[in-house]
Amino acid sequence: MRQESEWEPKLVGFLCKWCSYAGADLAGTSRKKYPANIRIIKLPCSGRVDPLFITKALHLGFDGVLVSGCHPGECHYQTGNYRARRRIAITKKFLEYVGVDPQRVQASWVSASEAGKFGEVVTEVTKGLKEIGPNRLFAEEGQEHGTKATG
Amino acid sequence: MEQRLRDEAKTLLEQGKVDYIIGFEPGSLKFTTTPLITKDKDDIDRLVINPFIVNNLSVFLTEIEGRVGIVAKGCDSRSIVSLIQDNKVAREDIVILGVPCPGIIDLGKVERLAGKDRDELDDITRDGDKVMVTVDGKKNESPVTEVLYDNCLGCEFPAPQEYDVLLGEPGPLAADKAASRQGIEALEGMPPEQRWEFWKEEFSRCIRCYACRNVCPACFCQRCFVEESEPQWILPVPRWQDNLIFQVIRNIHVAGRCTDCGECERACPVNIPLRSLTKEMYDIVGDLFHFKAGMDKDAPPLMTHYEYEEAEDLIR
Repeated sequence: MRQESEWEPKLVGFLCKWCSYAGADLAGTSRKKYPANIRIIKLPCSGRVDPLFITKALHLGFDGVLVSGCHPGECHYQTGNYRARRRIAITKKFLEYVGVDPQRVQASWVSASEAGKFGEVVTEVTKGLKEIGPNRLFAEEGQEHGTKATG
Repeated sequence: MEQRLRDEAKTLLEQGKVDYIIGFEPGSLKFTTTPLITKDKDDIDRLVINPFIVNNLSVFLTEIEGRVGIVAKGCDSRSIVSLIQDNKVAREDIVILGVPCPGIIDLGKVERLAGKDRDELDDITRDGDKVMVTVDGKKNESPVTEVLYDNCLGCEFPAPQEYDVLLGEPGPLAADKAASRQGIEALEGMPPEQRWEFWKEEFSRCIRCYACRNVCPACFCQRCFVEESEPQWILPVPRWQDNLIFQVIRNIHVAGRCTDCGECERACPVNIPLRSLTKEMYDIVGDLFHFKAGMDKDAPPLMTHYEYEEAEDLIR
């Protein structure tokens, strides 16, 4: 078993390919440093994010989920991010009510040029996750996670 | 009210305005009622309206082909409007026989109040905000708020929101808002870990019979995500983890459609307090988006619509 001090949170990021994914790309090519805790999944739009993705990621043992899309008014498909916003809002509120720490479910608007903001968001979210510790929500007694999450 | 319903229903069938009538008839157990779906006008005399017409009949609308006359209380009518909003039924295919609902009596609560099984009770009658329970020839009077279902105590719209015929005048509401949110308040007072433990405990009992899903008029997907195999989101095995995910996602799916009719909780064979989830989602949707399900048949459904400025404080 790993030592608690070595523990690094695993964060899964669902990024819109038109903005946040490009923003993450720009952060890389601009040699900006941000925590390597995020595993990025590229989606065509933040509107593609199903609340099931968020819940399933937590079930698999990821410590946090970050959904990131275009700023309101800037969606490539006009309205995808507005729809995403409603879904994410109720998912976040509802999971909080059931007992999931709201820090585990995060959302941000990051445009393709905001490499700096992307770095900041990932840094802050990772810091928050380190404070609240590993996700043992779905773990059985004696198990480390509930989980098959690797990588 | 009952006679008027029978007259109206008979006329509808005779004139060929509807193919089916959906209503309530006396159940096989004492005091209970059961849904009656018929195209035969001889069955119409079995229709009843009493304080025990508990089911939300709108669940049948998506299953029955043809034009339908349906008995609807306040919450049921909102479920119907919600189905119209989602294009699941056409307004012109249904005749809504609206019942102004003073609240439905929870037989479980009556049993607890009287300390007797329902078979041992002689009679239960309601008069305004009093309920009379007759046991062994002796009449006991109690406030009706003690025996109404929790969701009825929190009812906002007892009168049907959409109807073709209104059977009677809406009466005064016997509400007890605090009592209807009791379970939620208790949970909100707990730290998050304890809430999670609570739901973990509850969903360890779940046998995944899907009664909650099948009885719910808002749960109308042709194929539910729990039965998808590519990818298999959750296992069909009733482990608490999978049960909890099922119910969380079910609640998110019915957000903006759920009218707090309480059918899921009543259908649950292992008594999981499901209304503490659905009612909370009902309130979340109301707080965040000022949306109430099934109020306006011309309004867009919650999740297909948006405002330019909303819920921004939840996003970085």
